[in-house]
Amino acid sequence: MTATALFQSIVASLPEIVVIIGACILLILGQFVQKRQEHFLVWASVAIVLMAASATLMLASEVRPAYTGMFIADRFAVFFKFVFYIATVLTFLLSRKYTDIEGIGSSEYYVLLLLALSGMMIMASATDLMSIYVGLELMVLCTYVLTGFLRQERRSNEAALKYVILGAVSTGIFLYGVSLVYGLTGTTQLDGMAAAVTGDPLDPGLLLAVVFIVAGLVFKVGAVPFHMWVPDVYEGAPTTITAFMSVGPKAAGFAVILRVFLNPLVAASDVWIIVAVIAVVTMALGSFVALVQDNFKRLLAYSSIAHAGFALFGVAAGGADGIASVMLYLLIYAFMNLGIFGTIIMMRNGDFSGEVVEDYAGLAKSHPGLALVMLLYLFSLAGIPPTAGFFAKFYVLVALVERGFVMLAVIAVLLSVVAAYFYIRIVMVIYMREPEKMFDPALTPMVRATLAFTAVGTIGIGLFPAWFLRLAQHSVFGG
Amino acid sequence: MGLPLLSLIVFTPAVGAAVLMFLRSDGAVRWTALAVTVLDLAFCIAMLAGFDTSTHEMQFTEVRPWVPALGITFALGVDGISALFVFLTALLGAVCVLASWVAIDRKVKEFMVSLLVMQALMLGVFSALDLFLFYVFWEAMLIPMYLIIGVWGGDGRIYAAFKFFLYTLAGSVLFLIGVIVLYINGGKTFDILALTAKDLPFGVQSWLFFAFLVAFAVKVPMVPVHTWLPDAHVQAPTAGSIILAGVLLKMGAYGFLRFSLPMLPEASLYYSTLMLALSALAIVYGGLLALAQDDLKKLVAYSSISHMGFVTMGIFALNLRGLEGAILQMFNHGVTTGALFLFVGLIYERTHTRSIADYGGLMKVAPVYSAFLALFILSSMALPGTNSFVGELLVLAGGFAANLAVGAAAILGALLGAAYLLGMYGKVALGPPSVGVRFKIRDVNAREVAAMLPLAVFVLWVGLYPKPFLNIIDASVHHLLAHVHGEGSGQ
Repeated sequence: MTATALFQSIVASLPEIVVIIGACILLILGQFVQKRQEHFLVWASVAIVLMAASATLMLASEVRPAYTGMFIADRFAVFFKFVFYIATVLTFLLSRKYTDIEGIGSSEYYVLLLLALSGMMIMASATDLMSIYVGLELMVLCTYVLTGFLRQERRSNEAALKYVILGAVSTGIFLYGVSLVYGLTGTTQLDGMAAAVTGDPLDPGLLLAVVFIVAGLVFKVGAVPFHMWVPDVYEGAPTTITAFMSVGPKAAGFAVILRVFLNPLVAASDVWIIVAVIAVVTMALGSFVALVQDNFKRLLAYSSIAHAGFALFGVAAGGADGIASVMLYLLIYAFMNLGIFGTIIMMRNGDFSGEVVEDYAGLAKSHPGLALVMLLYLFSLAGIPPTAGFFAKFYVLVALVERGFVMLAVIAVLLSVVAAYFYIRIVMVIYMREPEKMFDPALTPMVRATLAFTAVGTIGIGLFPAWFLRLAQHSVFGG
Repeated sequence: MGLPLLSLIVFTPAVGAAVLMFLRSDGAVRWTALAVTVLDLAFCIAMLAGFDTSTHEMQFTEVRPWVPALGITFALGVDGISALFVFLTALLGAVCVLASWVAIDRKVKEFMVSLLVMQALMLGVFSALDLFLFYVFWEAMLIPMYLIIGVWGGDGRIYAAFKFFLYTLAGSVLFLIGVIVLYINGGKTFDILALTAKDLPFGVQSWLFFAFLVAFAVKVPMVPVHTWLPDAHVQAPTAGSIILAGVLLKMGAYGFLRFSLPMLPEASLYYSTLMLALSALAIVYGGLLALAQDDLKKLVAYSSISHMGFVTMGIFALNLRGLEGAILQMFNHGVTTGALFLFVGLIYERTHTRSIADYGGLMKVAPVYSAFLALFILSSMALPGTNSFVGELLVLAGGFAANLAVGAAAILGALLGAAYLLGMYGKVALGPPSVGVRFKIRDVNAREVAAMLPLAVFVLWVGLYPKPFLNIIDASVHHLLAHVHGEGSGQ
């Protein structure tokens, strides 16, 4: 690698470098932060992400391959990186009060989040199975630790342990698939793979490799049959981390899936059938099991499984519209899901956990404004217009029907009717029950700002989707 | 046209709802809501005054780009078919505010906000010229209606709200798939007029017809997907019932008129006998169910099923009389049944019972109330001189021309209507005053008369001089029929 190439590679990966160096500095400085000074950590972390964001923006104008084909800074990556930035910054803002209440507000918490962010960023930009693996592991290692951050709670420890074991197995499967690809094609680069096998795309060995890689990736987005960790981990982890995981790492998983799947090799091998089956089963399981959940976090865990299923329909549709629809879906999902998690995090105050759906009975009476934003998020998650959630689903359906998968589209919408039931049940509890106790939500300015931002996004993208749609369509690589 | 009149009509209630959120006292909320609905009604009257009855073209059209990448526009416009319903919605909006004046005594602000949002969305449905926009309005109505039934309804309100929501959503999502299929097959546009001009293959039309049928049949509602209606109507507060019966039920029929017939003409012709049979079933079955009810609200709810059967029969008779009668009857049913729900609500506020057996001799204690009730009952059973007579006669003429057996079934339904309506009136208003409720009833006050008077005016106006109303719809119906039969005979 020449000096110029190295320099250009460093420029292309500047945002990642900013985040990693920032995280390291914060790790050192964090040791000197006194009690009652923790807000410094929040602002420093936010500043690091903002610096990375501005670096990303500066580099967004052109496509920059880097590190001899391992890495690329293109518009596709930029789009996903912004989803990650939004998810991470909002998680920081939500964390300030929550970590105080739970007593976990040390600097490591923020450092690990930043490192997870850098892992996700590498995943979005990776164009080689090995660099995908590096980003993936960096991300999940951080989330394993963060899941177990409530050291005193058994639930949290158990969740972390489950997550590590299942995660390690799935990573192993993924690596096995990678090794098969390397053995059969002599390369791990996505482009190289495609070039090596144009002759016979249905080689059974390669198909097996693809299935293994799919299995490894599907684990990360929490789709059936690798979804078992999701409810336990979502319930046990600190709620801020659950919020983060349901948006950031999931989007990162989809970024990789899109890159791998829309590779000509995979596109030629009829893998869309597997994806379509996974999508149907995932959405069905998420929607039906969520019907009987009373724990809010668990319910949202199954809801996130269902949403992963819906986004997978977009992957199955493929093509430029299919990719763009998944990207738009993930962006919109980030807003509405962080919003609803924000309200759960806010309810955690004093001895009030806010983890049970019934805890919210009659919230509309004393806190009409809060109830209204929750109503907005919930109807958006259910996909009712004019919220953004509707447009996200609508665009996926357009992509499906365009490819001729009308039956899949019908299945998708019927399952979303099932899912609508448990969202409107929460609305019912909030609006149609009498309050049983006093509410004392931890409405700090930071939480207020987060809720306002996500609410504006949820309704704003729904009413004016044109700009965001164009953004997603322009960010689709190669098309 | 400098002034975007339709946008004003659609967005006035929405802006009003936003303003209401900042008001504190219940009194101010009520008066503001009334002012907004009356202002909206004034805009609608201005719209009708400027309406050109000689053309079937869309009028007052406005087109703005919305999502250009998918060919979605923000397009509004009215023709002879939708103009009456825009007006009806605005009229019932004001009536609903008056009907909720004292009946809603808690969370008044939230209720009025929901009501006004609902009104904006309903007006949007009737004036949308873009399928996507139409669907957004159509589906978004679920949110305020869910709250209106679920928060301010009767004892079984939560069950009724869920049933309403899920039934309608399940119907609508298939419609959504139909819309997207239409979009892909129709040249990637959501423009309703452009899609109307497309000639789709019969196979596609068939599938779309049934996808649309599910959504519209649930809304109308047609037997056998009517079971959400009695629950929703009975549990909803008075204003909710008026909206449901007066406007929401019309949307299903409007969907047939705006989408199924013009966009899928061959399929509509092909399946018209099936639709006529379902309509006849609804007429007779709804009538029989109404005959067996003791609950006032349920009786009116089931009578709606029967009456909406007349409407779908008129539509799928696919001839001039049938269609004109159906559209007029949609308007009439909105006025008359809206009024009947208002009357049930008024008496329920006084006595807190809806059982017919508890009433008797109301004529003696509340003569004004009973007199108005008689007018609307007679209107509902289509006595000559009232609005429904004109509409029903046209529908029957159309129905007989299309299919003799169906026409005969409709006559039977009309007889049943006379039986249950007169029976109900006899028990409630005539006879000796009942012991249970005799002393508690006061007659109607000025506000209540203000709510029912405009409806009474339309009952008699349409009944005695229907020409202005038929004029409005005439050109559009002629055009629609020519379109359906033109395509059908393979031109």
